[in-house]
Amino acid sequence: MEAQKQTKPILLFDDECAVCRHIAHWVQRLAQTKSGDTPIIERPIGNDPDLLLALNPGLDIWEAYETIHVLMPDGSMKLGGEAVAEVLRNIPATKWFTGTFAISVFGFRPFQAILNFAYAALADVRPLFGCESCGTPRFWIRPIHWMITRTKAIFADRRNPRPSPHFTPISATRRRLLAAPSERLPQAPNL
Amino acid sequence: MKNETLEVAQLAPRRRMRSDWVRTTTSGTFAKLVLKGEGPIAVEFMSYGCAHCQMIEPVLQQVAAIVKSNEKIFRVNIAIEPELAERYQIQGTPTLIMFLDGIEVGRVEGPSPVVSTLLTAVRQPYES
Repeated sequence: MEAQKQTKPILLFDDECAVCRHIAHWVQRLAQTKSGDTPIIERPIGNDPDLLLALNPGLDIWEAYETIHVLMPDGSMKLGGEAVAEVLRNIPATKWFTGTFAISVFGFRPFQAILNFAYAALADVRPLFGCESCGTPRFWIRPIHWMITRTKAIFADRRNPRPSPHFTPISATRRRLLAAPSERLPQAPNL
Repeated sequence: MKNETLEVAQLAPRRRMRSDWVRTTTSGTFAKLVLKGEGPIAVEFMSYGCAHCQMIEPVLQQVAAIVKSNEKIFRVNIAIEPELAERYQIQGTPTLIMFLDGIEVGRVEGPSPVVSTLLTAVRQPYES
């Protein structure tokens, strides 16, 4: 079967991160037009490197999990703050101000720089809001993360929830999802 | 501790190494490659969505390149192979299981992403 040509940007998101899932749902809701069509396609990164390579030969699954990617119809990719700007450009409610990201002062784009910084900060604080796949938080987040973990441990009576700092335990929910991948939400759309 | 921190900084580049010394095995090939495989074989149970697996990946590639003459290292993606994870009672990722003649001889959960630690982990079970 011949592969369908990509006509819309594809937003890849980390479906194992609660924050990313919420943001993806939010984008999906806002980007939807009255006819039910969306100018941007959302797709979970998933766990198959070959599927991602089929989308774009330059796409590495580890890199996809590392930072937000938007795959453009022309074959290019936008990453990080640039990808966020592209997403905002495709949401009718936010489209009006996205022109500011292109404003350049002597080669420096101040609004894009602010967006890049905001994206980096949000990516760093994800572990505080229930990101199961974000791993060890950045150093500036660690004290807050430590306090939250300790507080949770007191109430849950689990003072040492992790046997190793370099280990991601499989939670009961995740076990269920692993056993039944079709229950994952949202589903990858047909391209 | 200081050396370990330095080593992590030097050996865990953000970009993935393109040479793949760690081969992926599935439930279909697991018996042939691992259980009936010759010599020491280490299997990393991992998931691409796991940040700790991402951190360990370049280090594991280096270790696999070091030990390639006498030991093989495979990876199992537990998101695609949940029955293998279930069979080996994987509690989280990354988990390394060392096999010899199809029998589990060692297991390490969440090893530190440092070459020396990982090298010890994949060699030690076969030395005793």
